[in-house]
Amino acid sequence: MHIMEGFLPWQWCLVWWIVALPCLMLGTYQLKKVLAADREALPLLGVTGGFIFILSSLKLPSVTGSCSHPTGTGLSTISFGPWITAVVCAIVLLFQSLFLAHGGLSVLGANIVSMGIVGPLVGYMIYRLLRDTSVNIYITVFLVTALADMFTYVTTSLELALAYPAETGGFVSSFILFMGIFAVTQVPLAIVEGTVLALVFKYIVALKPDILIRLKIFSEVKINAARNEIS
Amino acid sequence: MRFKYTLEVLTVIAIVAFCAVFLYTSSTMSGAKFAGSDNVGSGLIAKLSGTPVENFQPLIPQWEPPSGEIESCLFALQAAVGGILVGGVFGFWIGQKKKA
Repeated sequence: MHIMEGFLPWQWCLVWWIVALPCLMLGTYQLKKVLAADREALPLLGVTGGFIFILSSLKLPSVTGSCSHPTGTGLSTISFGPWITAVVCAIVLLFQSLFLAHGGLSVLGANIVSMGIVGPLVGYMIYRLLRDTSVNIYITVFLVTALADMFTYVTTSLELALAYPAETGGFVSSFILFMGIFAVTQVPLAIVEGTVLALVFKYIVALKPDILIRLKIFSEVKINAARNEIS
Repeated sequence: MRFKYTLEVLTVIAIVAFCAVFLYTSSTMSGAKFAGSDNVGSGLIAKLSGTPVENFQPLIPQWEPPSGEIESCLFALQAAVGGILVGGVFGFWIGQKKKA
């Protein structure tokens, strides 16, 4: 999902940086507030952020004969919302652009927008939509994670298609071409990522239900229902 | 008594199916190089813009890992940091629960 350094014209780099920066500032502000309000939020941030570190370092092979990596942003999105997730993603992406030549400093803004902002934002909307319905919380976690992952790659395709419209067919036809590379490769990865993070969420529910209730991530009724299902 | 491990079973099935699909594609699809989709994407950019890949120079000078070994070392390091965070916190929570 990384756009490589030098592969995005500077005008677009600037545009995506301008989009990313206010989100990061909002995220930093929210992060301070959440951690000041409840010290128990820090371990939860460690777990959800830890999965972003782990999963975004795994480059997995897919059906299209190329490799891609999951994003792991689902748990953090559910627990802390898209803006704090953007801050964690920015840290991971900065590490990757400084030491791994995956992405780069000029395209960092664009990469933060796809992995840290649009993907989690889509996931967050799904979560808000399903949170107060009777849908099982593990299905919610699965959908949020898988869709946050998918839409990260859809956004990358969009960013590249905007910068490189095809000569014939323009933006739409180049969007379809980039989707063919990024999004199709991502489908099986997103499904596996969704199931794995749903399982992780089950362990969080089993060990630390009180923090999920206190941070109002899910209602007490739903958490208790989920606990009864697993024990 | 209800079955407690539905999610575990589903996860194992998903992972095994994923591996099976990989083995199937890698043995039947000739010419599949399993390169990163980032690089495949860059190839498409080169095609669409009519500029060869080599002509894309970093806008901001960038350090590149000198070899694949060093790159995988740094990726492993990133995963290790995540693993320490996850393992540490789960251990902390289990300890808290036992104490309570």
